[in-house]
Amino acid sequence: MTGVDNDRAAAYGMWIAILSLVSLVCVIGIAWAELTSTGHPAHRLLGGGLIGVVLLAYSFILLFLRKGGFTGV
Amino acid sequence: MYRRLLASLLRWTLRLDVGINRVYPADFNPLYYTGGLSNLFLTILILSGLFLFFYYVPSYNEAYTTVQYISERVPYGQIIRGIHRYSADGFMIVILLHFFRNWFTERFRFSRDEPWISGMMLLVFAGFIGVTGYVLVWDQRAELLVVMTGNALAAIPAVGGWLRNLLFGGPGLTNLLLPRMLFLHVGPAVLLYVLLWWHYVRLRHPKVWPPAVWTLFSLGVVLLLSGLIPAASQPQASPTTPPRQLAVDWLFLLPYVSLKYLTPLWLIVLATVIIVYGLYIPYQLPETRAEMGLRESGIAQVIDANCTGCELSYYDCPYNAIVMAPSPHPGVTKAAQARKLLAIVLESRCVECGICIGACPFEALELPHFLEQDVQAKVLTACRS
Repeated sequence: MTGVDNDRAAAYGMWIAILSLVSLVCVIGIAWAELTSTGHPAHRLLGGGLIGVVLLAYSFILLFLRKGGFTGV
Repeated sequence: MYRRLLASLLRWTLRLDVGINRVYPADFNPLYYTGGLSNLFLTILILSGLFLFFYYVPSYNEAYTTVQYISERVPYGQIIRGIHRYSADGFMIVILLHFFRNWFTERFRFSRDEPWISGMMLLVFAGFIGVTGYVLVWDQRAELLVVMTGNALAAIPAVGGWLRNLLFGGPGLTNLLLPRMLFLHVGPAVLLYVLLWWHYVRLRHPKVWPPAVWTLFSLGVVLLLSGLIPAASQPQASPTTPPRQLAVDWLFLLPYVSLKYLTPLWLIVLATVIIVYGLYIPYQLPETRAEMGLRESGIAQVIDANCTGCELSYYDCPYNAIVMAPSPHPGVTKAAQARKLLAIVLESRCVECGICIGACPFEALELPHFLEQDVQAKVLTACRS
């Protein structure tokens, strides 16, 4: 790998780490929303939305894994 | 004129491809997967629709309340309803993208008229199913849609009244209306899969599913929207106080908006002309004749400098004669410089049919002893025989 490739991989690696952290926070949020949904049905909307955020984060993680050269052709 | 317009649109489409390929790897370019994305959204629609079907009761008294029950009482019912609602929008958007992209890149030529015609039918049925879905909610918008559709159908000479009775069970609001709408929502959805089979049957490598990146992204967007902007009904329909204002969904209800400017009869005529023209598109361009007569042919050749690694020829070759290999070096043209893959023709399998030449929008393939119009003439002759 050249220096430029290493820099690029490091930049994408940082974004992957940030998105993983966001996903973890969202998963905790989903669990909290479900546990508290008995008295607050709207919390399930929050839970559903957070599932969407997790999936979006995963999609960008896959993209960055590829663009950073960690996976792919 | 039309040919020049098409050439201009092709240039803009390819520029868009090149732009997106700078952001995404070429095999992640969403424009290459509009067909697969349609399938994804259709699958989401069927699964979420099955869930809603268990609770829905198609009668005037219960339709609205069962939809409210799903939204307010069933765990995650509001989210599933939102998924159904936003997937329908997604389905329509990617079908339209698929339609325009294949139109502008002339992917209706070289015996691809059958996928084109089945695709047109899929588009029309998708729109129809969307409208019946709006009626099933049975809120004020649904009632207005029924009235407007009834008036438009009644304007058709000779068969209008019969068509309206067939769809609605009679003039006005009859007890048969909602059961028929439910049937017309679910029945054509099943028919979509028959049309999809027809759509795919002539394609050797159809991309039936998008890559994981876009599957996750699409599901994520649909779920996020369902949580952020929950799908909601308008007030319940009431025959005594019919609504006058239509809450517009631009994807499905655009024809109803045009009723503000057109009479129902003109709307029907305009819709018919658009659909018939859509079906005629594959046959619109004049046939080109071979100018140089028959010459000795050779197997297809990849023009290394132009190949972008987009895989279109790989997917379209019915003889598995094209494989994609990691590219040892970038191409020469702007579009080919970021390629990761390179098309390679397997000599033993190539039958010199020329389909790959029609598949490739980057002019990266040729039959050495044929001009493109020669290949086209050969394919047309073969089809006619």
